[in-house]
Amino acid sequence: MFSKAKKLGLFLGIAAFSMAGHMPAQAATSAKSVEIKGEVIDTWCYFSGVMGGEDAVVGTAHHTCALWCAAGGIPVGVLTEDGDVYMVLKYEGEDILEQSDNIMEVQSDTITAKGMHYVRDGVNYLVVEKVVANDGIVNLNHEDYGAVPPFSFPKKKK
Amino acid sequence: MKNFIRKAGFVASLGASLAFSVTLAQAEGEFSAGSNAKGFGFQEEEKATFSGKVVDILCEVAGNCVESCGNGTRLMGIVRAADNKLILPLKNAQLAFNGPVDDLVPYCNKDVDVDGVLVGDAEVYNAKFYMLQFIREAGAPEWNKAKLWTAAWKSRNPDVASGKGPWFKRDPRVVKQVEANGYFGLGHDADEKYRVENQ
Repeated sequence: MFSKAKKLGLFLGIAAFSMAGHMPAQAATSAKSVEIKGEVIDTWCYFSGVMGGEDAVVGTAHHTCALWCAAGGIPVGVLTEDGDVYMVLKYEGEDILEQSDNIMEVQSDTITAKGMHYVRDGVNYLVVEKVVANDGIVNLNHEDYGAVPPFSFPKKKK
Repeated sequence: MKNFIRKAGFVASLGASLAFSVTLAQAEGEFSAGSNAKGFGFQEEEKATFSGKVVDILCEVAGNCVESCGNGTRLMGIVRAADNKLILPLKNAQLAFNGPVDDLVPYCNKDVDVDGVLVGDAEVYNAKFYMLQFIREAGAPEWNKAKLWTAAWKSRNPDVASGKGPWFKRDPRVVKQVEANGYFGLGHDADEKYRVENQ
């Protein structure tokens, strides 16, 4: 039979071993509290160039595609004025891929967000704790690019 | 027949969108050897196959860990074994705006082999991002194509799972936003103005 101390040691050992499966492999990540302002974007089209240049895959021109991508589970980013993109991990308490309308409602909006910023291997990650301002959609680039991609805007019914 | 024409039009439009980038050359990267991934000519694209561990990114970078990597509610990544870099997949292998998480969740905290393409200009963005095309548990004989998203979407949206047209035109969350704010997000008057001036 195990003594109480041995049982406790065994329990703690098992608990520690169990937790290890959920712990990060390493901590080469920097973290700080930030307030950032930027446009909520679809990151796949932005980084891959699949739909054209950076200026065309943001704003009103790309709004419907941004909705499709966000609903599709493609990471949502916040693009700041100086060109940095922050990958949103959590949005006001919700995991980013929860089937909620909250992240859908801010697609293409320019928001000011407070939260925690993590950098790992060159990628910016953001836990949005609170959106302190929302300027709505301010980039009216459909006037220059139309709808990007074109099939994101339905043709007029004849 | 109409439906066929509509589908053909969609495929042609998607093809035209992809054609924006097909003239770009594909580079050989450090992890390109042995890759059987399909190239699309995305920006700064390079094929990449490597081994690593599938992780919940929020757990990995912030120590905020939950069971089963959040069961599809969280962004997921792959810590590449060769250099310990956290690789962020943005896409799976499907071509209709589908993310990679449903294909990664079954491998939460497991060692895997993956194949796909890295995209994006690392000199500008400080990193490249991944399109996951194939995945298998480390050393397994068979690869699995990363195409689980559609089935997962149908199970999340049983009411519209069998409707007509592509998923993204039936998705309840998308439809709700378009009905409320139009295709440019500015309201239906802005859509109508664009229609009058451009169609």
